[in-house]
Amino acid sequence: MGSLGIVFRKEIHEILRDRRTLIAIALAVLATPTVLFVISQVATRTATQTYTVGYSGDIPTGLDTLFGATGLKLERVDDPASAAKKQVDIGIVFTAAGIEEYYDPSRQSAQIADIRLQTILSRYDAAKIAASLQQKGVDPSVLNPLPVNLHPLSSPVKAAGNSFLSFFLPYILITMSLTGGLSAALDTSAGERERKTLESLLLTPAPRGQVLIGKILAVSLLSLVAAIAAIASMLIALSQISFGINGGEDARVSLTPLAATVMVWLAVLLAASFSSLTVALGTLARNFRQGQAYATPLYFITIFPASIILFIPDFNPSLAYYLIPILNAVLVLRDAIIHNSVSWGPLIVTSASLLLTGVLCFYAALRIFTREALLVRS
Amino acid sequence: MSPVAVKVDRLEKSLGPNKVLRGISFEAHSGEIFGLLGPNGAGKTTTLRVICTLLTPDAGAVEVLGFDTRSVPQEVRRRVGVVTAEFGVYPRLTARENIAYFAELSGVLDGEVGRRVDSVIERLDMGAFAKQRAETLSSGQKQKVAIARAIVHDPPVLMFDEPTSNLDVLASREIRQFMVESKSRGKCVIFSTHVLHDAERLCDRVTIIHQGRVVASGPTADVRGGFQDLEDSFLSLVEAVK
Repeated sequence: MGSLGIVFRKEIHEILRDRRTLIAIALAVLATPTVLFVISQVATRTATQTYTVGYSGDIPTGLDTLFGATGLKLERVDDPASAAKKQVDIGIVFTAAGIEEYYDPSRQSAQIADIRLQTILSRYDAAKIAASLQQKGVDPSVLNPLPVNLHPLSSPVKAAGNSFLSFFLPYILITMSLTGGLSAALDTSAGERERKTLESLLLTPAPRGQVLIGKILAVSLLSLVAAIAAIASMLIALSQISFGINGGEDARVSLTPLAATVMVWLAVLLAASFSSLTVALGTLARNFRQGQAYATPLYFITIFPASIILFIPDFNPSLAYYLIPILNAVLVLRDAIIHNSVSWGPLIVTSASLLLTGVLCFYAALRIFTREALLVRS
Repeated sequence: MSPVAVKVDRLEKSLGPNKVLRGISFEAHSGEIFGLLGPNGAGKTTTLRVICTLLTPDAGAVEVLGFDTRSVPQEVRRRVGVVTAEFGVYPRLTARENIAYFAELSGVLDGEVGRRVDSVIERLDMGAFAKQRAETLSSGQKQKVAIARAIVHDPPVLMFDEPTSNLDVLASREIRQFMVESKSRGKCVIFSTHVLHDAERLCDRVTIIHQGRVVASGPTADVRGGFQDLEDSFLSLVEAVK
């Protein structure tokens, strides 16, 4: 076995015995399903919960039926304005002139109840006007001179799910590709110095380039496994969890085979690039703690591009944007998830950009690893 | 006299702005313990690091068994084993795995690794803790692991850089015994220390360096000269340089 294989095997061996790293990855893998479960519980509860409307005065005929059908419960109170502060979600007073509504915008339940109330009232108004027109012999369709028939080309619920995935999945992929192997990367670089094993390692006749590649490959493998495990756990959770019922269609999300393939390919490239980068930073550091300090800015550098989809969902950049590492992976993955298609141009540019980033980081790490200053400083 | 194993010729080396070595020359032979002596900061460790190819000389030349450290560093590394005071080990590997890792990286053939590792474990009496993780070992046991990994590829040149500075009396004695035993096996043992008492007892020949220059060199008894011990001789030489 060559030096590369010997180093790779030893690093994997050590990683598998490092409880700290394994527990951190396991927690990260379990965190996503846990968060999603909590979100789904809150979303389902919000969608199905009945809100209370405190009222006074006489309810117009037929309106009470609409309330019941929209998840609003009517409750007579003496003073709707004061009741809306705490006792009920919103308060309304039926008068001869109309309706006075009292609600506290700082309460989420009041906001939801208000939306439902507005929906009910607009339907009620429309129905009353239509009935009135009909009584006078006028066709109620005059109120709607340009009726619109919707023909969605894909399921709106599925589109909402894909939109959710297009933000969440790249975010998980990028953060896990970075953090999954970070501890191992620092351990195998800065840790060698801190443990005073670096000099002995460099004293062996093993070519330093091979030693470095062996280390980077081991860290890359760990990052890749961590990223894919986190995404797999997320997808499994999403396949089991429903985010409320929308028009009878269950809002479950899933990843198409094409998007999954693109994701794995990007995960390989990201893991290799991040591993080269973190090993290079770790090699610069004198100890594990200093390595962590060097790596901290990476969190911000990676999270910002991952978040761009959240802030600019319809961001459609030119091909040049795909040269920017990390952002390009987010964009390609977003397209694969939302449109279920991959454009070869962006994918090739993205792959080339990430490969080049990895090679440059490896070259930097090799330069540092072969400098005399590495030993003199330690 | 035995053949020359290590030849250092007018060696110069700067680390940053500091000129650490200013034309050091000496020869160490197979089958002897050669003492490289001097106060802290004299340039002993830098000299050893150049010999084992971790550092490149600015001027002068170093040969190990005829191999030039600049042109064929990997051939030199195959023939050198180094033990330092900093006996770092991989904590999550067992003592045996630590040694096997370095045996493999040093080019010991796959089929030979197990036998070689067993052999050094027996030689250094490490059987009781060979299967323990290194993180659970005592300082003395870790130092044995460090020695074992340095000799597992059976190098003809062994260098010890202040090997006893972090060890207790018993562990230090074992190191000294090991150096004597290696000498009897025909190895060239280079012993770098500032503990002159140890050097006087062990070394056949010594070179004293101070401020990057050789101030005395030769058989231990000759360097001691008319002084009561090597320490007095050393102090007189250092004072003379001032």
